[in-house]
Amino acid sequence: MAKFTLTNGKIIVKPFNKIWLVLGALIALVILFSYFIPLDLVNFKPDQLPIVLKKMFTPQRNRTWADYFEFIFSLQDLLVLTLQMCYGGTVLGSLLAIPLALLSSKNIVKTKFVYGPARFILNLFRTIPVTILAVLSISMVGSGVLAGIFAMMFFTFGIMAKMLYEVIETIDMNCYEALESTGANKLQSVRFAVLPQVFPVFIGYVMYIFEINVRSSAILSYVGVASLGNVIRENELIGYDRIGGAIIVIFVTSLIVQFLSSAIRRKLQ
Amino acid sequence: MIKFVDVQKTYPNGVQALKGVSLEIHDGEFVAIIGLSGAGKSTLLRSINKMIAITGGQLFLDDVEISSIKGKGLRMLRRSIGMIFQSFNLVKRMSVYNNVLTGRVAYNPTFKTVFGLFPKADKLLALESLDTMGILDKAFIRADQLSGGQQQRVALARALTQKPKLILADEPVASLDPITTVQVMDDFARINRDLGITIVANMHHVDLALKYATRIIGIKDGLVVFDGKSADINDEILVNIYGRSLKHDELLGE
Amino acid sequence: MKRAEAMYRKLPKKWIINLIFAAVLAILVIYSFQGSHINPIRLRQLPFVIRSFFRGFGNILWPAFFGFGGYDFDESIVYLALETLAIGFFGTLLGAILAIPFGFLAARNIVGKHVAKIGSVLLIIIRVFPEIILAIILVKGLGSGAFTGILVIGLHSVGMLGKLFAEAIDEMDNSSLEALDAVGANGWQKIRYGIIPQMAPLMSSITLYRLDINVRSATILGVVGAGGLGALLTIFSDPPAWPLLATILLAIIVMVLLVDGVSSYLRNKLV
Repeated sequence: MAKFTLTNGKIIVKPFNKIWLVLGALIALVILFSYFIPLDLVNFKPDQLPIVLKKMFTPQRNRTWADYFEFIFSLQDLLVLTLQMCYGGTVLGSLLAIPLALLSSKNIVKTKFVYGPARFILNLFRTIPVTILAVLSISMVGSGVLAGIFAMMFFTFGIMAKMLYEVIETIDMNCYEALESTGANKLQSVRFAVLPQVFPVFIGYVMYIFEINVRSSAILSYVGVASLGNVIRENELIGYDRIGGAIIVIFVTSLIVQFLSSAIRRKLQ
Repeated sequence: MIKFVDVQKTYPNGVQALKGVSLEIHDGEFVAIIGLSGAGKSTLLRSINKMIAITGGQLFLDDVEISSIKGKGLRMLRRSIGMIFQSFNLVKRMSVYNNVLTGRVAYNPTFKTVFGLFPKADKLLALESLDTMGILDKAFIRADQLSGGQQQRVALARALTQKPKLILADEPVASLDPITTVQVMDDFARINRDLGITIVANMHHVDLALKYATRIIGIKDGLVVFDGKSADINDEILVNIYGRSLKHDELLGE
Repeated sequence: MKRAEAMYRKLPKKWIINLIFAAVLAILVIYSFQGSHINPIRLRQLPFVIRSFFRGFGNILWPAFFGFGGYDFDESIVYLALETLAIGFFGTLLGAILAIPFGFLAARNIVGKHVAKIGSVLLIIIRVFPEIILAIILVKGLGSGAFTGILVIGLHSVGMLGKLFAEAIDEMDNSSLEALDAVGANGWQKIRYGIIPQMAPLMSSITLYRLDINVRSATILGVVGAGGLGALLTIFSDPPAWPLLATILLAIIVMVLLVDGVSSYLRNKLV
């Protein structure tokens, strides 16, 4: 608040700048949250890092570089397994998400009684972390590929449905109305007016979620689903170099998937 | 005052925008530059405050040749020249008041301006400029929430806050509706008459140029083809400048 | 009539290609199930499992949740949830601060095409490197705990935030910069009055979006030792202790929905 008096006698008051409120809130949050971060530097040993990195990326325990690369090649079965899971889970989850997304779109269903609960279910699936979904799946179908597929399917289902309905709500509704006016029912209008508009974006999302799933597959092994992450868990004593090998495989695979998906997305534009 | 001596500008892609322009503009004049799009109007205007650097000839501002001026000297030069743009060029998300204050950034040390610490005199000056333009009541509203005419007035207020000797205007009313156009042109005339500020404006609408400016410069193909009082213009000269008779949208009409 | 018929014959048989495509995708899906076997024992237990899952929700361990009756507040689920939230918050903050220079380095209109290309490749590498792997490496290398979690999330976020920042900078409106040039402003003043007013709201919006995702990551990263709720999950997953899992799940759902709500609300106000 500042008051100014001009030479011609007029008085003008400058209102309070809201930026200070924002900054204040931010600082308050920082102070509040630091209570929860125990700065116990007892556990924090940064000097270990270069040692660990060296252990991971050079052969250990009398193994040679040849052994190192041979191990990497031997991981291809596990890699295929992981990719299988991701693929199946992503495709199925995405397909299942389509009807739910349609039901959650305000411009398609219009009544709150339908899209309200639909969005609630969607949010439920979206907020449950993939690890718990994995646990659920394992207890239902036993550990193994199937559990992985189910876990990823449910996970994909959640986020795809949300991303999809956000897109559906922004499309041009004119052709949809046109179709309805010709006497088409809701399903037909959706098929001909909505889906073609959403399709390229949908494919883009499928690839994006596939990428995410490939990257998170490693963590599923910590809850019991067999994947490349197993290598990491099982080799702590045998040698970090095996862990390093697995890391390289995962990283390179993710890179390839990333480049493929950008290339495909660009072709669709 | 501004003096062009055989000024040329060739762009890197080979286009010759100015092929040898010589003219003199004196303090207090209201000059309108007319001509086809692409004839060199914008290049001519922007070379005055060195937004575009000329490639030949000499340009004098108050008897100082400007081609060697750069860096801090250039900014000193520019701070006393106001510029008005066709698309207003305001900072959209900032308040009108802050936009007008930016007219004083080159008058204050960097450290202070970056933290928004302008001296009280500058702040008062900004508010008074807004008052002169009649939009003081909009001072603390976000700039992009104003109408086109109001935004151009904010731009004028920003220019006035620089306490300029010269205001350059690049098609200042081309984006405005006919009624607002007249209001803004009246503002220009008032500033020129009451504050003695030299005005050099590129005008798309010929009849407006003739009505408000005391002196007309006609540009065709990078050369001056007419330089004189607006009373001296006739249809034949206009055909020469435009290469054809005027189109409907080059006249504001009434 | 003849012309229409001739045209009809010439219609591209696109549907055949689409069919082949769909068939290939379907076959791949079926193939992806290969190697899995449905355990008949498990299948018979399925209804029981589902029932215990839901009953777990009925038996939520409130003492463990809030931290009373034998549980210290420091051990309670709420505390861990807040710790997870804090990890997500600080990680996102760190990532946003680090991403600002990266964003400028990858923006074509600031540093030119070639430097920007290098910048964006760098960002891709950071972005693609799996967060969990980074967590594993850092936990082994730096020790476990919340602090490591913050570093993991912060470093990983730089990738995505940097990319989105660069895109925002690329699409910046230059007209106000032109005016600042004409007024005689120097570089710093142009940043303060030309770039920041446009970029700050946009970058804040992007960061809030990322906060949402990062809080969810923070819950998972605990599994490998980076602090937060994740650690509890591993312990009680094999065999699953449904009541406790349901308790943790409740906390996670509430926390994520809260962050999601706040983030959406603030982002709407920013635009």
